[in-house]
Amino acid sequence: MLAILAEYSYSHPFVQPLPVWDYWPWLLLPLCAGVAIVYKSAKCASMRRVPWEATVAFAWILIFMVTAGAILAGLVKVLESKG
Amino acid sequence: MVDEQKSLTAPPPVVALAGWVVPGAGYWLLGQRARAITVCVTVLMLFVAGILIGGIRVIDAPHLFGTSGNIVSRILEKPWFVGQVLAGPISLIAAYLSGLAAKSPELKDMVAHARLADIGTLYAAVAGMLNLLTIVDSSSRAARLLNGDDNDATPASPSPANVPASRPARSTP
Repeated sequence: MLAILAEYSYSHPFVQPLPVWDYWPWLLLPLCAGVAIVYKSAKCASMRRVPWEATVAFAWILIFMVTAGAILAGLVKVLESKG
Repeated sequence: MVDEQKSLTAPPPVVALAGWVVPGAGYWLLGQRARAITVCVTVLMLFVAGILIGGIRVIDAPHLFGTSGNIVSRILEKPWFVGQVLAGPISLIAAYLSGLAAKSPELKDMVAHARLADIGTLYAAVAGMLNLLTIVDSSSRAARLLNGDDNDATPASPSPANVPASRPARSTP
C-alpha cells in the first residue's frame, strides 16, 4: 500500500485526487470558513459586520466539531472496550 | 422614491434564477454588489476546491435518460448530485466533463477513494447548498423590496440606536 502511494504521481490537476490523504482533517478548515462566510453574508444586514461575524461563526463551528469528534471518539472507545 | 425603487427591483423568480446561473447574481440585481461578490467567490471556490481535492469524478450525475428503474430511483442513486447541481451551470459542465473522464481510457482509473472522495464530494455539495441559501435569501429580499418593506435584511435586535424616536420614554420609578 505504501509502495503504491510512493509511486503516485500527480500529473492531472482537477482529474486526479490531490495527494493530501495524510492531511485530510485540515481540509475541513476551508469548508468551515466558506460556510461561515456565506451564511453570515446572507444573515448580516451590513456587509461591514461580515468579517467579524464570520470569524466568530467559524470559531464556533470548529469548537462544536472538535467537541462532537471527541465525544464520538470516546463513545467508540467505550463501546470497543465493552464489546 | 419607493415606487422608483420598486420598478427597478427584479421580481423574485428572476432573482432566484440569476442566483442559480451565477452564484450571488441575485444580490447583484438588488444592487448589493459586495454581498454578491463575496457569495460568488466563496461558493465557486468551494466547488472548484472540491474538484481539486477529489478530482472531477466527484461530480457524478445520475443517468436521467437511462433504462433501469424510474427517474426518481436513478436520481436517488446519486443523491450528492442533488446538492451539487444547486451551485449552478458549472455543476452541469463539471458533470459532463466527469462523464468524459469516465469514458476516457487514460483517465477512467483516476478516481478518488475513501476520505478524499468524501471530502471532495462534500465540498461541491456544500457549495451548492450554500448557493440555495443565498438564492432563497436574495429572492426573499427582492420580495420585501417589491412589497415596499425596504428594511433590507434580517431585523436587527433592538438596540438604543434602533428604537424609534416616537416611542414614549419609560418612566423610572
